[in-house]
Amino acid sequence: MAEPVLRAEEVSVHFGGLVAVDCVSLEVGSRELVGMIGPNGAGKTTLFHTLSGVLAPTSGRLVVAGENLTGRGAHIYARSGVARTFQTPRVFAAMSAEENVRFGLEFAGRSRTHAHDAFDNAASILGFLGLADSAGIPAGELTPAKQRLLEIGMALGARPKLLLLDEVAAGLTEGEVELAAALIRRVRDELGLAVIWIEHAVRVLMKSVERVVVLHQGRMIADGAPQDVARDPAVVEAYLGGEAGGEA
Amino acid sequence: MGFWLELAASGLITGGIYAVVAMGLNLQYGLMRIMNISHGEFLMVGAYLTWWAQTILQVNPLVFLPVVALMLFVLGLLVYRLCFRPIARTAANAEVVEARSLLVAFGLMFIVQNLAYLVWGADLRGYTFLSDSVEIGGARFGANRLLVFGFALAASLALLAALKFTLFGKAVRAMMQSPTGAQLVGIDTAVLHPAVFGAGIALAGVAGALLSMVYEISPSMGEPYTVTALIVITLGGLGSAGGCLAGGLLLGLVEAFGMHFTSPSLKMLLSYGVFILVLLARPRGLFAR
Amino acid sequence: MTMSGFRERPSRVTIAALATGVLALAVAPWVLNEFLLSLALTCLMYAGLAVSWAMFSGATNYLSLATAAFFGIGAYVTALGYESLTYPVSVFLGGLAASAFAAIVGVAILHLRGAYFAVLTFGLGELVRHAITFVEKKYSGTVGRVLTETPEAATVYLTVLVVALAAVAVCVAVRSSRFGLALAGIGADEQRAQTLGVNTRLVKIGGFALSAFFAGALGAAMAVRWTYIDPPAVFNPFIGFQTVLIAMVGGAQTVAGPLVASIVFSLLTELLRLQFPYLFLIILGTLLILLVLYLPGGIASLWTRKRAGKRDG
Repeated sequence: MAEPVLRAEEVSVHFGGLVAVDCVSLEVGSRELVGMIGPNGAGKTTLFHTLSGVLAPTSGRLVVAGENLTGRGAHIYARSGVARTFQTPRVFAAMSAEENVRFGLEFAGRSRTHAHDAFDNAASILGFLGLADSAGIPAGELTPAKQRLLEIGMALGARPKLLLLDEVAAGLTEGEVELAAALIRRVRDELGLAVIWIEHAVRVLMKSVERVVVLHQGRMIADGAPQDVARDPAVVEAYLGGEAGGEA
Repeated sequence: MGFWLELAASGLITGGIYAVVAMGLNLQYGLMRIMNISHGEFLMVGAYLTWWAQTILQVNPLVFLPVVALMLFVLGLLVYRLCFRPIARTAANAEVVEARSLLVAFGLMFIVQNLAYLVWGADLRGYTFLSDSVEIGGARFGANRLLVFGFALAASLALLAALKFTLFGKAVRAMMQSPTGAQLVGIDTAVLHPAVFGAGIALAGVAGALLSMVYEISPSMGEPYTVTALIVITLGGLGSAGGCLAGGLLLGLVEAFGMHFTSPSLKMLLSYGVFILVLLARPRGLFAR
Repeated sequence: MTMSGFRERPSRVTIAALATGVLALAVAPWVLNEFLLSLALTCLMYAGLAVSWAMFSGATNYLSLATAAFFGIGAYVTALGYESLTYPVSVFLGGLAASAFAAIVGVAILHLRGAYFAVLTFGLGELVRHAITFVEKKYSGTVGRVLTETPEAATVYLTVLVVALAAVAVCVAVRSSRFGLALAGIGADEQRAQTLGVNTRLVKIGGFALSAFFAGALGAAMAVRWTYIDPPAVFNPFIGFQTVLIAMVGGAQTVAGPLVASIVFSLLTELLRLQFPYLFLIILGTLLILLVLYLPGGIASLWTRKRAGKRDG
């Protein structure tokens, strides 16, 4: 089997006495679309911070495309092909939408090209996301929904091999969520990226991905096809036993 | 033995003043992100008002202490209303508040210091007050210095108690921990912010009044205290009043003993050295866990 | 934070105007009288300081008060090398020394943000000042150093002009480069910039050191104007404050803003400072507060706002 895009080996993150991520191991191969769910406080975002180098794991190893990047800075992860979005959009408010996308192209994505050259410049990426009309507008003036899309555009600008999406659907209407899901599938299909996608809108997520991992209290309690995971007693317990969170 | 006691006491006396000055600044920064670089100027104003009252009106400086506190509190309210409230209302985020209030505070520093030069002139001023010495445990101390230390300590402890036990103090602490949370439970920043800013300025004024009983005063006396207060805040940790008291006393001791073992001209070098070391090694304060 | 200057190409008219301006500045020593020349010199010094300050601090929002430290270090290079180095060499070495100092210090302190960074950089200037005072007293047995033979006024003026122009040129070049984009990204959201592949630490240290070069070079160039050099004069915190004020008042995200503001401030300084020293600083303070409260984007926002209005209409 080919080298996975990302391999996390027994990754743990401790904050003082609190264990936010507890010995999670995860492999993601190229072109895989993986959903990640779990109740609030399950450690999903913390795990993303670790996978993108924003936060060094307390223990464990992170291997990106065969290279051990444990403990390296976030820029190294980005240059090695891991791009991410943030739960609350973090666009460069004063720069135009186009400049925001170009930022990734200029730095993390500089030494690579996309498999699909239709996505190789800011204009085409914005077009793909349906943001072509907003290219010249300062990102801070876009609606929150458009800022979320623009965040994906910034990440695509980094010409990644693995895209980490932290909640795309929050604050979107149901119709917009469906569109976003379709967009994410296209990203995978047309650009050949691996994607890990955290989402609270579990129903939409389950429909769109082939594989779901479930985090609960920092541990990975399930990993498999959506229909299997949905029947997993541990998952049902996590969602119904704690708070009746999510929209499952 | 007596000599070391005197040295330690002189360190603690300056340290007590440092603590009072730093507490006010720490409240302002911790609560409102106002890095009030003009803080020491209000200390100077407090010192001059006390000197005025003493020399012109023959008022006992200790009796005048609450008056100084009240006058500077009102001045603080006014300054907040004119200079800092507009920033808090228009700035997009905390970083912008911080940058703009720092600049405004620079402006205030220029204004207050040079007004003092115009009004009171550049000469050193002073008066004698309880300068007889008292002997304790084989060491001799100026009575006024002991008094100053006592009042500085009392002011610090009173503030600590107020923060801990009064409703207002609890609101302030809640606000420092979680501004949005505090707003949700109905804490009114429109009252809290000016009041805390005024209280900080009042503390600086009290420190200045106390200093005027011991040292000669000049319009440029405030600036070093601002810098020292920043150092103390760094030692004690942002937003921690208790840390300020400990940090202030500690810095006073470090200066006193450091100068004794090296040379008095190294005083500032010592303070800055401590400051930079702490900031690099423990950026969240000596006592942070 | 505005990126409107990014990738904008100057028009032919602007280039012509710039060329005329530079030419006019270059012939100044033979046209102006002594007073006006010294006024122009102050102007150029602050223009260079403010523009190079804005290049780093304006873009990244790291509010540095270390200008006085860099300036002083440069001045001391001139003072120490007075007998062995030629004037242009001291100016260059002054810049390098400040740059090296900034890089070393930057490694240690550029992870701090906000007021902590501001206060720490201010402390640095004081620290270096006290350290030099101590060393000079203890080992050289002097408080200050006397420069007996100094270059002619015209030489000093032209040197400062060259340094200031270089600062402006570098600033403009940086703003339209990847490096400038990285600095702006750090100012907008440092962590986001890093997750998009910017080595933020390296970029910050580089930017800080580059901006320190010009402050150091200007300090080295201006040192010969004093003839007597001692730490309080060359590590004067006022130089640092004034630089920050000019840049912020002008508009720290632009190049033209600090340039305009440096002219206004230098005029104000020269006209008022000697006659009414206290009143001058009171006016300065009031002006600063009014500008921050009512024109927070700086003077530059006057014309950028106008331009934006035109675009809409």
